[in-house]
Formats: sequence, structure tokens, C-alpha cells
Amino acid sequence: MTLDSLTGSNNYFEDFTVGDVYRHARGKTVTEMDNVLITNLVMNTAQGHFNEDSMARTEFGQRITFGGITAAMVIGLASQDTGENAIAELGLDGITFRSPVFHGDTLYAFTEVRAKENGDRPDGGIVEFAHWGVNQRDEVVFEGVRRVLVRRRGAAERR
Amino acid sequence: MTTAAELRSRATLWPKGNYFEDFAVGKVFEHHWGRTLTESDNIQFSALTLNYHPAYFNVPYARALGHPGAVANPMLVFLVVFGLSVEDLSEIGGAFLGVRALTFHRPVAVGETLTARSTVTAVRESDSRPREGIVTWHTEGFDEHGELLIDFLRTNLISKRPNGDLA
Repeated sequence: MTLDSLTGSNNYFEDFTVGDVYRHARGKTVTEMDNVLITNLVMNTAQGHFNEDSMARTEFGQRITFGGITAAMVIGLASQDTGENAIAELGLDGITFRSPVFHGDTLYAFTEVRAKENGDRPDGGIVEFAHWGVNQRDEVVFEGVRRVLVRRRGAAERR
Repeated sequence: MTTAAELRSRATLWPKGNYFEDFAVGKVFEHHWGRTLTESDNIQFSALTLNYHPAYFNVPYARALGHPGAVANPMLVFLVVFGLSVEDLSEIGGAFLGVRALTFHRPVAVGETLTARSTVTAVRESDSRPREGIVTWHTEGFDEHGELLIDFLRTNLISKRPNGDLA
């Protein structure tokens, strides 16, 4: 197994240009299985995400997807293109949720390359991405900034 | 035969969560339970969120990158630390507004155990929603030795205590 044969060849540090905007190829419909399973798996005890009876009596009328899952799903949809060759995920900032996500809504992801820095490692550099999550009605439901230490091309062979 | 109506009349609600009035700047919450991250958590979470870094689900690949074994998906680390904080901070209800200044301090290995703590950093009224207020917390996630793994600022709308419902 060579490291580089397992991941893409067009998503190294050198491949990202500040100002580029990507539309990621796959969308994902957020199902009851996704929301309830992950909410419960991560010990989130807020029943608005898993008690349909109590939520039926609210202004929403149904369970709401946990925002952390919306964030993880949008970043996930962008991950192959923008994180597959990461050395490390460094952080997130400016995470906001503009409208609720319900079971059956479909998320699509968009990314802009905001900034690049050389960082302090020879084998990688830091890329700052802005991510947006858009639903099936073209409403922006999520936005956030993510900083990633991305491998430079050929760094694996030089190890 | 016991009926549900009978049970309701005899029972007292064992309440969960804190209201807006329960938060004051500087108050610290040591959150319950802790959570060991398992291989099953990590693969299931990464697969369901389509997060495709091989270090999360290919052990030789993770080792080749210098990790001791599979790396815990950082978004899973974030959501578990968040999840552990919910009963103390936001279970009572109110919209999750956002997260700022989140830092992953180091990669976390599958098998490590997370604990969480939060400190109230801001409390204010909501202009548009008088029955709720806005609270910000600094939440920190630690490994079993107390080393800081992740920290972030979270802001939520939080319900005020219903009229006549005294703590």
C-alpha cells in the first residue's frame, strides 16, 4: 500500500487557490436514521431531536436535526475534496445555522478557499475554507470556516 | 389495573436541564458521564456523515501517517463533547445559534475517553424573543489525563423559567 494511491491526486496543498469556489458533487438527504442515531450516539440529550410526540406540539411540528449533525454532514460532503489529504484538522469558526433542518431535507455543500499559509511544517500548509450547506430549496442552512493542515504533494514519498 | 391518568396524578416530574435564569457569567459546569470513543462510533459517524479521510477507518493508513491507530474523526470529538454538555446547558430548549473559535488541540485516538466542562462567558436578553435569553459558554473537552483536546464558544437561545415555576 502506498499512501498516495488511496487518496485523490488533486487535493494537496498546492492544488488550492485562494478565491476558488467548489460545488461538491454529492448531496445527502438527512434521514430520521441519521439524526436520531447520531444525536443519541454522541449523548446529546435534547429530546427535540428524538421525541416526535413532544415536538408535534411545538411551532416546528416535528423533530429538528441537531445542528452539530448539519455541520458534520456539510463538512463531510466537502471532506473528500478538501480534507482527504489532511495532516490534521485545526479548527472551526463562525459556525451559524440560518434555518432548521428536518428529516427528509437534502443538504448540498459549497466551499470557498479563503486563505493559505505555509505554516511551520515542511510537509504541509494551512488552508482556510469557508463552507456553506444549502438545502433542496436553495436556502443556505449552514455556514462556517474550517482550518486544515493539508499535505504537500509528494510529502508522503519523502517520509 | 393502573392507568396512565392515575400515574400522571401520582407522579412528580424528575426535571432535566437549566433555564436562562440559572446561568451567570463565570459559572462552571463539570458535565456528566464522560465517553470512551470506540471504533464503532468512529466508523459509523464517519460513514454516515460521508467524511472520507482514510485515517478514520483504515488503521495501517493512520499508522503510516504516524498515528498509534485509527484517528477519531474531529467532528465526532466535537459532537461528543457538545453532547455531554447538553443536559447542563441547553436541554431545556432554545435554538442553537452558533459556534466560534473552535480549536482541535491534537488528533484524538480511538479508545481515548472524553470528558467535558463549560464556563458561562456571556448572558444577555434577546430583543426579538422575550421568553428566551442568549447564553454563551466556553466548552472544553479533555482526555482521561485532563489534557485539553478541544475547546469552543457556543451560543444558544435558552428558555426562561415559566412564570410561577420556581426552582
